[in-house]
Amino acid sequence: MSAPPISAQRFIGQRVPRKEDGRLLTGRGSFVDDIILPGMLHAAFVRSPIARGTIRSIDTDVARAQPGVHAVLTQADLAPFGVTMLSFFLGPVEVAMTPLADGRVAYVGHPVALVIADDRYLAEDAASLVVVDYAEEAAVVTLDDARLGPRVHPDTDDNVAALMGEEEADAALEALLAGAPHLVSQSIRHQRIAQSPMETRGVVASLQGESELLVHITCAGPQLVARWLTLALDRPGLSVRVVAKDVGGSFGLKNHPWMEEVSAILAAMLLRRPVKWIEDRIENLTAANQAREQEMTLRAAFDTNGRLIASHADYALNNGAYPMGADANIAVHMFLWAAYNIPAYSFVSRGWYSNTPGLAAYRGPWAIETLARETLLDRAARQIGIDPVEIRRRNLCTAADQPSVTPLGIPREDITPAQCLEKLLEVVDVPAFRAEQAAARAQGRYLGLGLAAYIEPTGAAGSIAVMTGELAQLRIEPTGRVVAVMSVHSQGHGTQTTMAQCIADQLGVPIEDVTIFDGDSSRGGFGPGAGGSRQGVIGGGAAIRAGRLLADKVKAVAAHLLNASPEAISLSDGMVHVAGAPEMRRTLREIAEIAYGEPGRLPPGMETGLEAQYRYDPPPMTFTSAAHACIVEVDADTGFVGIRRWVSSEDCGVMINPAVVEGQIAGGLAQAIGSVLLEDAARDAQGNPTAATFKDYALPTIFDVPDFEYVHADTPSQAEGGFRGVGEGGCIIGPPTLVNAIADALAPFGEVPVDLPLTPAKLMTVIEGQPWPERPVSRFHPDHRAPEVDAPAPVAPAVAAVAPAIAVGIDGAWKLVLATPMGPQPMVAHFQVAGDRVTGRLEADQGSQEFTGTLSGDQVRWEMKVTKPMAITLKYELTFAGSSVSGKCKMGLFGTAKVRGERA
Amino acid sequence: MKPAPFDYIRATSIDHACALLAEAGGGAQLLAGGQTLMPLLALRMSQPFILIDIGHLPELQGIAPHGGGLRIGAATRQADALVNPLLAQALPVFVTALAHVGHHQTRNRGTIGGSIALGEPAAEMPATAVALGASMTLRSTRGARTIAADDLYLGPYATAIAPDELLVAIDYPAWPADAVPLFREVARRPGDFALVGLVGALAIADGRIERAGIAWFGMGPTPIRARQAEQALVGQAIDRIDVQAIADLAIADSAPFDDGHASAAYRRSVGRRIFANGLMQALDRRLAA
Amino acid sequence: MSEHRISMTVNGQQHRGLVDGRLMLSDWLREAAGYTGVHVGCEQGVCGACTVIVDGRAVRSCLMLAVQADGCSLTTVEGLAAADGTLHPVQQALKDNHGLQCGFCTPGIVMTLAALRADGARPDEAAMTEAMSGHLCRCTGYQGIRRAIRQLAAEDGTP
Repeated sequence: MSAPPISAQRFIGQRVPRKEDGRLLTGRGSFVDDIILPGMLHAAFVRSPIARGTIRSIDTDVARAQPGVHAVLTQADLAPFGVTMLSFFLGPVEVAMTPLADGRVAYVGHPVALVIADDRYLAEDAASLVVVDYAEEAAVVTLDDARLGPRVHPDTDDNVAALMGEEEADAALEALLAGAPHLVSQSIRHQRIAQSPMETRGVVASLQGESELLVHITCAGPQLVARWLTLALDRPGLSVRVVAKDVGGSFGLKNHPWMEEVSAILAAMLLRRPVKWIEDRIENLTAANQAREQEMTLRAAFDTNGRLIASHADYALNNGAYPMGADANIAVHMFLWAAYNIPAYSFVSRGWYSNTPGLAAYRGPWAIETLARETLLDRAARQIGIDPVEIRRRNLCTAADQPSVTPLGIPREDITPAQCLEKLLEVVDVPAFRAEQAAARAQGRYLGLGLAAYIEPTGAAGSIAVMTGELAQLRIEPTGRVVAVMSVHSQGHGTQTTMAQCIADQLGVPIEDVTIFDGDSSRGGFGPGAGGSRQGVIGGGAAIRAGRLLADKVKAVAAHLLNASPEAISLSDGMVHVAGAPEMRRTLREIAEIAYGEPGRLPPGMETGLEAQYRYDPPPMTFTSAAHACIVEVDADTGFVGIRRWVSSEDCGVMINPAVVEGQIAGGLAQAIGSVLLEDAARDAQGNPTAATFKDYALPTIFDVPDFEYVHADTPSQAEGGFRGVGEGGCIIGPPTLVNAIADALAPFGEVPVDLPLTPAKLMTVIEGQPWPERPVSRFHPDHRAPEVDAPAPVAPAVAAVAPAIAVGIDGAWKLVLATPMGPQPMVAHFQVAGDRVTGRLEADQGSQEFTGTLSGDQVRWEMKVTKPMAITLKYELTFAGSSVSGKCKMGLFGTAKVRGERA
Repeated sequence: MKPAPFDYIRATSIDHACALLAEAGGGAQLLAGGQTLMPLLALRMSQPFILIDIGHLPELQGIAPHGGGLRIGAATRQADALVNPLLAQALPVFVTALAHVGHHQTRNRGTIGGSIALGEPAAEMPATAVALGASMTLRSTRGARTIAADDLYLGPYATAIAPDELLVAIDYPAWPADAVPLFREVARRPGDFALVGLVGALAIADGRIERAGIAWFGMGPTPIRARQAEQALVGQAIDRIDVQAIADLAIADSAPFDDGHASAAYRRSVGRRIFANGLMQALDRRLAA
Repeated sequence: MSEHRISMTVNGQQHRGLVDGRLMLSDWLREAAGYTGVHVGCEQGVCGACTVIVDGRAVRSCLMLAVQADGCSLTTVEGLAAADGTLHPVQQALKDNHGLQCGFCTPGIVMTLAALRADGARPDEAAMTEAMSGHLCRCTGYQGIRRAIRQLAAEDGTP
């Protein structure tokens, strides 16, 4: 492949108007609720009004008898489908879970029954007539409730959904912290967030004959939904086609189907009629999966010069009842200090089950790390007595510090947070601000400046199996038009524009001549859709490489036809040009007509047509860096925060379309402003949602978001095109930038706890020297009643003696399943016992590896090092009993996974 | 979110609407602008048997001089009142308060009477009616009666309007054209109900306050007249007023509570501050004029 | 439940129908009349996505019953662009300024701004921005919407 000269690029880097806008501005988009199929029925759910309890009975008779009602379904009706609910990683969810509640309800809003009727009005009428008798139990709502209360799921040992890091204190690290000149501790709390795409969830499902299921669904990626549904339904002979043309935002919520979508799909299969379910806003705010609700205590030690020595984080994340993947959020720790130089870091991280809606992704799912770190740095600056700029300058990872590897093994080669900070400071005059701030304070006005810096991993493929590369299928049609079918998918990202920019440059055609089709799993290749700021990097790379392949073919055909050398051929303005012979130029259409229709005129042996495809897998990690500043004024009479200025200085590499880049940053920042000041999907002590409408779940309005200013660095990444992802960054760096500004403004009054949202009422307590509002004590706290103590886990007998009988029973092959956070991993283990020494081999899809371990009683232990997804040591501990085996595998910072198995 | 079934009836006159109300015996709901009622219907929090639409009735529209003051027909659209020259001239503080009601789009359908009859304690129109001393004309098949705004509000969304009664018009007494307007509202976002709000007017003659009408909103279960503050203000020279002391009196009459958006302590503290500042700035403006 | 014969003009086209008293105007426009550009974002009267023009005024179609629009003249987002496809100035300004991303809230925003500018009215930036407080957008942070408003005001000479 020959790379075109840079001068050939005309669209990458330009603020090209979006191709999507024409249809969206005129009401001609195609969203899921716009799909109307003949015979289509409408669904409404009966949902649990209690957070926790058992279902004594469900009486559907009256509802079923209503006119226009076709069915009232409960889990008993859906059970025969045998659906397996899957996590985002496509493994079975860790707890028993069914599309509709099966005997127990685990959160307010849990779907209990489904009414199918002629229209939504009738369905809601009938839903209100379904009588469910519940036996209510005390709900586990908060993280404290989860720590102290009864188990949310009967089939788990405790409420820990996921555990990573070191449970026991690391003595060496603790010594570093304790002995440092400055130890700074920051405890923060992030409230629960509702992703709140303007288009709620929804699905229209219909069987097409016996062998095809057509699913229109609003989602982040139709191919992933098709993959998820194929595995979840597991019906041989049934093809799943998923279509999602226009999607009204996702922000992590719509990664894959969940209970409601699956129930509606099963209803369509059961009734053999198309079924539509469109989530209403009250369902969306109260029963859809949510995000954040985290607590972290971060400690960091500094030397006398304010340089980092060591740090430790203790982190907890509310997973709700049915997370879309039980999660202790390893990325939080991987990236917490990745932009900085720090010698030592350790953590413990727990995800907790509770009787609340499940955890879903939300823009920058690990964003708490930047909030914790950057607010801690400002606190440290105040505590140590140095400037917030200076403490970052002394600790940020600069070009001179690279290449290097963080304590958690993240390689850094081309991150630029320090450069972003310096570029930021060229446009934000900090000394001038300090003078203005001092003058304002003298008048009783409180201005504050907040700074933050960070890096973010973008465009990942290959490190998590479900996050694959992206495919571009490209053709120049006989008409001369360029058509690409892409595996990327837009929920507002503008990929139909940005991908066209990449392709137009390679083929030298006007952007109007390029059409991008996406949004249909029956076309193009597999891709996981939006997530992890990946589409520009990976889809863009695929588009460029496919374009280059196709350009090469056009040149080869043209060179043959025109008796020129391929090097003399160039493509521009939709034409093929021959160097030095302008009269020889041909339109792409002329070349295409020959390429498809006149095989005899092609070079010998060449495939007809002008088509190419490329599946692009980027380097493992592509980092985006940024530093932001914002200036606020806090009204000391009301506690209201006015944002006066906000400057973003980011390095997302080569920008395909700066307007799209800035749109992504701005959208993320607006959501950050919502998180810090306005939004709160709180639940009361009984687990009832307190924000059920957009009146109470307060999204930012135009008056809450300032004009943003942008500074762009453009350090090309190592990915094709030099792109870096930018979808999530604003939502990651925005919160600490704003929190730091507020804290700076109110510094004369004292420290501002990082306990989001920072409502006017909370900020007034700082201004007035009143205590910060306390959170209610858990109903399961000892002050209320004795906590339930789970029966202690059976302890393996500490017998050193070797029992030959057991050893004989261990030799040979065993089928094992390792329950990792990314889904179950099947393996086969071969053991050979000799005395107390065990040798063996572990075979998995990724390959096989030998190990040596020890036998003690009926317990075998061994360690083995792996390099994927990271260099970690796995510590296995298995107990054998007859033909079954169980135990655990300690996976370093990935926590501990259960192992179960049987004789092969 | 779809309404439960009901019968929709488009009333042909006030008398017709009253007859329908009487007949329904409490099972009916009046629909005017619908900007509050419609979500309640969609949430099925309101499930009337009969919905009586009065929004279009000409008898309920319009703004006209009446008894020295202004009479506003209950179904007058908020957007129309907002640009009404009579109101702008006679009751500028009413217009200021009205501009804070909902949003442009809801004011295009929402009515003055609807907002007043709903009795949302954190809304602008009820408190404005109380502050300015408005009175309401109610009609039913039993006849007509007039009730003072002071007597209208019983609790959150609870008014002295009987189930068979219809709010026909609101009379605002005359205030001097140069009355000092008082308006402060603290709300999370534009169009949100107030966390704390105050509205009122001060009539001034010869440098002294001769009449004061001030009410809180968002500071209790109903709009609340700052009666002690009003009494303390009347007769005072406007360059001699201790605004902090007056604010303390105003707060003493409030009865705020905690909710999901703010605490009672916040409302009390911020209320005192915005009252004192609002009063001081209003008086300063007058003194400078 | 009462049923009503209604007729209304939508985008210049006469529509008739038989509706239940409780049918929301937004549902009638989308499902009976086929104007799916009317987006239903909350049915709580807050988000503004369903905004249409009724007798010259921007109103939320989820806060009206279909029967209440009997006899009215309505415009939806489908009715703004010229027959030859030329965008309405509001639509063009939003396009020029990347004023939309997912596009779900966009029809409501377009209709509010178009209503403010109907009949030759030329609102200034403050008036247009104030009206935008009745619209929620989760994607753009309102940056392109604000730029579009400034462009409109500049074109009109009313900045």
